Amino acid sequence: MARDIVIGMAGSGGDGIVSAGESLISAVAGEGFHALMTKSFGPQIRGGESSCRVRVSTEPVFSSGGSLDFAVALNWEDFLKFGSELKCGGSTVVVYEAKTGVEPDKIPLPGVLPAQVFAVPLSDLTKQAAGTDKAKNSLVLGLLSSWLGLARGSLVKGIERRYSKKGDDVVQGNLKAFEAGFAWATEHPLTKPMTMEAPTGTPTPKLLADGNDITAAAALFAGCQFFGGYPITPSSEVMQLLSREIWKYGGAVLQAEDEIAGVGTAVGASFAGKKAMTATSGPGMDLKTEILGLASIAELPLVVLNVQRGGPSTGIPTKSEQSDLFQACFSAHGDVLRPVLAPTSVADSFSVTVEAFNIAEKYQTPVIILSDQEIAQRKETLDPIDTSKFVVEDRKKPTEAELEKYVRFAMTDDFVSPISHPGMKGGAYLGAGIEHAESGAPSASGAVHARMNEKRFKKLEPLKSQTGLVSVEGDPAAELALISWGSVAGVCREVMAHARAEGLRLKLLVPTLLYPVPEAAYHAFFTGVRAGLVVEQSHQGQLYRLLRMFLDVPKGVASFTRSGANPIQPADVLARLKELTFHLQSRVEDARRSDTP
Amino acid sequence: MTAAPPLGPNVFKSELKPIWCPGCGDYGVVQAIYRALSSIGRPPHEIAFISGIGCSSRIPGYTTAYGFNSVHGRALPIAQGVKLANPDLLVLVAGGDGDGFSIGGGHVAHAIRRNMDLTYIVMDNQVYGLTKGQLSPTSPRGLKTVTSAYGSLEAPINPLLQVLSAGAGFVAQGTPADMPGLAAVIEEAIRYPGFAFVNVQSPCVTYGEDDQQLRAHKARMKSLKSLSHDPKDYLKALELSTHYGLELYTGVFYRNPSPPPTYEAQIKARQAELAEKALPRERILDLFKKE
Repeated sequence: MARDIVIGMAGSGGDGIVSAGESLISAVAGEGFHALMTKSFGPQIRGGESSCRVRVSTEPVFSSGGSLDFAVALNWEDFLKFGSELKCGGSTVVVYEAKTGVEPDKIPLPGVLPAQVFAVPLSDLTKQAAGTDKAKNSLVLGLLSSWLGLARGSLVKGIERRYSKKGDDVVQGNLKAFEAGFAWATEHPLTKPMTMEAPTGTPTPKLLADGNDITAAAALFAGCQFFGGYPITPSSEVMQLLSREIWKYGGAVLQAEDEIAGVGTAVGASFAGKKAMTATSGPGMDLKTEILGLASIAELPLVVLNVQRGGPSTGIPTKSEQSDLFQACFSAHGDVLRPVLAPTSVADSFSVTVEAFNIAEKYQTPVIILSDQEIAQRKETLDPIDTSKFVVEDRKKPTEAELEKYVRFAMTDDFVSPISHPGMKGGAYLGAGIEHAESGAPSASGAVHARMNEKRFKKLEPLKSQTGLVSVEGDPAAELALISWGSVAGVCREVMAHARAEGLRLKLLVPTLLYPVPEAAYHAFFTGVRAGLVVEQSHQGQLYRLLRMFLDVPKGVASFTRSGANPIQPADVLARLKELTFHLQSRVEDARRSDTP
Repeated sequence: MTAAPPLGPNVFKSELKPIWCPGCGDYGVVQAIYRALSSIGRPPHEIAFISGIGCSSRIPGYTTAYGFNSVHGRALPIAQGVKLANPDLLVLVAGGDGDGFSIGGGHVAHAIRRNMDLTYIVMDNQVYGLTKGQLSPTSPRGLKTVTSAYGSLEAPINPLLQVLSAGAGFVAQGTPADMPGLAAVIEEAIRYPGFAFVNVQSPCVTYGEDDQQLRAHKARMKSLKSLSHDPKDYLKALELSTHYGLELYTGVFYRNPSPPPTYEAQIKARQAELAEKALPRERILDLFKKE
């Protein structure tokens, strides 16, 4: 019996391998399994190689997992292009198109056991069953459903739904292909059966969404009334969802002529008193930077989503990386402090987005949500989220008395000034990118500049100690520690589970608030830590370096990095941790020896 | 019942003292704006006045409206966000020729094709004044400036032709040399229900050429009315606009006789049509329910 299965499939664009993955995750979500699906494509817009990984589990999952349990290759050339994204090992069951002519003991995957390899005449079987080989992907679903004992009824219903628009012939063809696959697998059982157990607890149907979907929905929940943006991979789905939904709530989406206009319109909407947002990826952030500075000095609430991809420049637009942290924190001229938050999963994108709007409104500041392609575009099952536990904040408005003699940038106890908006009688002021006195009047005085800089920094001071923005997990007394953020934090959460199972004492810190650095939380966490890793998917290790800039990081805490588009898997981190433990123990022993007189 | 007191031009004048050089054309522009706003009669707090960067972009601060002196070239995007967030506001946009036709040039055509009810006033002085006398996108070919020591090698942009050809529904030109005329075209631009553009030949006394000064304007300017131009005549307007730089025409080049619906009116209609389909906010995640 199996409880946690990772299936990886690859083919060329027209093979429908990604749509097979979507059918599969949809079916298992309906049956209450926890599941997660990532897609990966070559650079081509249509055609070219495409792949997906679907992880199905009886327990909650936080990452797309390690080596594949099932690998499906419609052709070898495309499959191999994905390299470590579709890693196979000794326990991987490999299914491939027999027509490729490769003998089962000669497949180009070193380490796979021949007994686990199935050369299936995918095209021929599909043609026999359906009259065309276009339904190959449904045949693959039939194979998997039979071998895994998984979701047969839901998959059949899913096929009916998915192809209903294409006519009855297509539906019937796909159903026949599915049954043919199912029958073939039943006749060719696995050497080691892998039937999935039922999900634990009472299986409840899950929500199914990707991070971009959830971010957009959370924006609506938080009261976002305006979105201005420009299409860019991998964040466009946020604008797409909002452009379907936001009108229903009296809001508007504007697809701007460029990235600058996108953020410009959002700043305008915020100036006019509405909650506003823009979304982009790295290159777009580069372009938006000047207007982010404007929002900071004009003290306007604004939420900016950056879904990170491989960089610099165009980099790898379709694949995940965590290399925009420095940009998020520091890309601006002048002294600027701009909160940066990162979600760690699809579900977490909801609370992080609501929090971003709350921080933006409360502190009258732009807030950057630093998501990544992995979270933004992976489909994940979610348990229903209880939205009643979320507070939605609005900006501090001036009272009638304050409007009698309104001072827009008035120094207050908390350095946050009540903010008016056009239409509000008595509240007129000059908003500006130019330095200004409390009244809003432009000023080139050094004294005014120093005072306003102080205001803009001090108002954000409480954020660093706000609860709920840093998560600490595991054994509080552990000397071995992990720090991670974004999608890679999910990998580290799975490392924690493995470590527990192996009796390794370990703790994990995951910051939702990346910047300003919540120093106190880190200092408390570092107490007693003798070794550890800051795990992130970038070449430089930007969080590690950021922490060293602001904190006394214990000497034994090292950087664990891997460039984007190279997945970090729990086993990789665990292996490094074990090395660290080994060195730690030998150091302890060395110390003991040198203590001996 | 007594009528509300009329809003005189001074109601729109703020306490800030302009930074402009004595004799700058922009003094005339702001006066014309006070007069136009007074005729329109909307109170200052219902007006949002957005600008970019440059001498002329200081102008919102000299009014009592809500002002936003933003960043170089981005007044139009910001103004569009303001308008969509609150379509009931009267939204004015202002800037110089550099702001509108150089660094922010990419935004103009898009603002026009969206056709929001905005009034865009460009103070065109053919030179960069704030940065002390460099070449501008409307500088004439051959102009010697601190960045074109041997004369400009580029043809100037023609703002009137560009805006007309992009489809603006209202296009006019004025000069502070004719204050009543300038106030009148600004007022008419505000009243036009859609994107309206006013090019103001606003002399730079410090870096401008002699033939661009008010005295020269007075001698050269020709009202389009005196030429019997019919502002409904789009093709004639295009033709007249090609004389930019040679002739100083004042008045309305083009006013679309049947203005198309504004962007914000279409949005209001869409919002009204879809409102009943909204999930309650607290149930927004039902969007992702699997049956």
